[in-house]
Amino acid sequence: MIEVSNLTKTYGKKRGIDRLSFTIGDGEIVGFLGPNGAGKSTTMNIISGYLSASSGAARIGGIDILEDPVAAKRQIGYLPEQPPLYLDMTVAEYLDFIFDLKVPAGELKRSAHIEEICELVGLKEHYTRVIRNLSKGYKQRVGLAQALIGNPEVLILDEPTVGLDPKQIIEIRNVIKGLGKNRTIILSTHILQEVSAICERVLVINNGQIVADDKPENLSSMITGDRKLTVRVAGPRDSVRKILRSIEGVRFADVTVQAEKGSYDFLVEARPNVDIRKPMFAALAKAGYPILQLKSMDLSLEDIFLKLVEEKKKQRDPHNKAPKKVPGEVALNVSGGEESAQEAYASPEPPEQSEEEAVSPAAEGKEEEI
Amino acid sequence: MSAIYKRDLRAYFTSPVGYVFIAAFLFVMNLVFFLMNMLTGENRLTTCYTIMLYAMMVLVPILTMRTFSEDYKQKTDQLLLTSPVKPAGIVMGKFLAAYTVFVITLALMLVQVIIIAAMSTPNAAIIVGNYIALLSAAAVYISIGCFVSSLTENQLVANIATLAINVTLFLLDFAYDLVNVGWIKQILYWISIYRRFNTFYVGVFSVADFVFYLCVSAVFLFLTVRVLEKKRWS
Repeated sequence: MIEVSNLTKTYGKKRGIDRLSFTIGDGEIVGFLGPNGAGKSTTMNIISGYLSASSGAARIGGIDILEDPVAAKRQIGYLPEQPPLYLDMTVAEYLDFIFDLKVPAGELKRSAHIEEICELVGLKEHYTRVIRNLSKGYKQRVGLAQALIGNPEVLILDEPTVGLDPKQIIEIRNVIKGLGKNRTIILSTHILQEVSAICERVLVINNGQIVADDKPENLSSMITGDRKLTVRVAGPRDSVRKILRSIEGVRFADVTVQAEKGSYDFLVEARPNVDIRKPMFAALAKAGYPILQLKSMDLSLEDIFLKLVEEKKKQRDPHNKAPKKVPGEVALNVSGGEESAQEAYASPEPPEQSEEEAVSPAAEGKEEEI
Repeated sequence: MSAIYKRDLRAYFTSPVGYVFIAAFLFVMNLVFFLMNMLTGENRLTTCYTIMLYAMMVLVPILTMRTFSEDYKQKTDQLLLTSPVKPAGIVMGKFLAAYTVFVITLALMLVQVIIIAAMSTPNAAIIVGNYIALLSAAAVYISIGCFVSSLTENQLVANIATLAINVTLFLLDFAYDLVNVGWIKQILYWISIYRRFNTFYVGVFSVADFVFYLCVSAVFLFLTVRVLEKKRWS
């Protein structure tokens, strides 16, 4: 349905996206994951025809967006990062205008179509309200409704849940999931959970290039490899630690902090592909130390990023070694990915380091490696 | 195009812009009419319409300043440019909406003609000529305004820049009278917008001058389309 080949966009000397190529099949829900400035919005803007690429091509349903923009755009519903709303109109007037703008005369029945979309995105009660007076969540819904008018086969949604409250995020995610049943959807986000919740496939973009292209579950297993858990146990610190370390498959276990009186939080790391939750439960139950809380340590986007970027760097290393005689150039190449990833996220530390730092104050002076 | 036309026309009347323009225009022109015609008993509207040309120079930028600037600011240009509408359709929709507001204003000014007709026998050819001249001038002013508005997202900048261009064109007309060098005078004559109104004012329909105005409008509208298309390559 969407075919992007060698797409490059340069802003002055800076490359917004760099030889991006991918294909998205009919009915796929694909997530673009990447930090701010990675090139997600640029790619979406090019596919939707708002921007033109410096080189390369984007085809929607086999139609090149530059060769026949009107026919290509007819297949697309686009929700940009900031919903393009005329604030002085009511929801009804606005959607009416969009209908006139996008739907050829006689193709769809106006009132039934608009009503159906309002029902779908939950706008029915706000139909007669002026858009300016709507909350951010409802403005986002109007933006989504706008993208849906004309039943386009492709939906391009640029950070559709940004700025919404948790309840609205869940609602919008469900709406998108429902829409994906008979449409091709591209969705950009920098929230990892969003991708796993909605998408069937993830394209991770960094510095204008695709760093990974896989299913969300493969991606997370590829990245995690090992499994980390935080477990809160009521019992003496040393005994519990001893039990945890004796469980088969545990690679690392130590106290992070005293959570409540008489209970401690432990960071437990399992060996790759080993599920230690059941044996851990059994061992602690047998010893009479109840588990008060157990949660897996989800990888954050920055963790994934640093890992993927590092992997990419490793892959590139053989090429980078060649021009090592020019140190400035090598430094530039190598640092590019890291810098932008670090700029975009608050934590400049690699995940391993920060976890160790979290452990060390609590476990100070009592460390023995397993 | 019709969707954009309808929306923009409606927007002129859901915001104060359309009303401010019409009210300001009618206030100035009716004051002029009162002073030039009612008080003096003059039944020719030519002087009144000549002054209207200058009023348009100042007031039309109010009408056109928001055509594209507001869309840029609200990011609704993203909606328009990703819709299945050609840039030319977007420009024409917006131009015609602004032009319609002007036509409505001009239609309201017909009251003056009715008053004159009730009290005397005016020269119909001159009145029709004046109206054609004003409609042509409006097309030029509005297309210049649309073009300038397409260059900036700041409405105030669009307003002042359009006014500056209009005043410059007006001054070029003055320059025609002051310059004695033959070829410069000739060039100034070619590009002079105001001088060409004179033929219409005396009730003569000059096809050449009419086409000239259409061409100037078309050039500015074409430039506006190019600006929109260029945005994609920025």
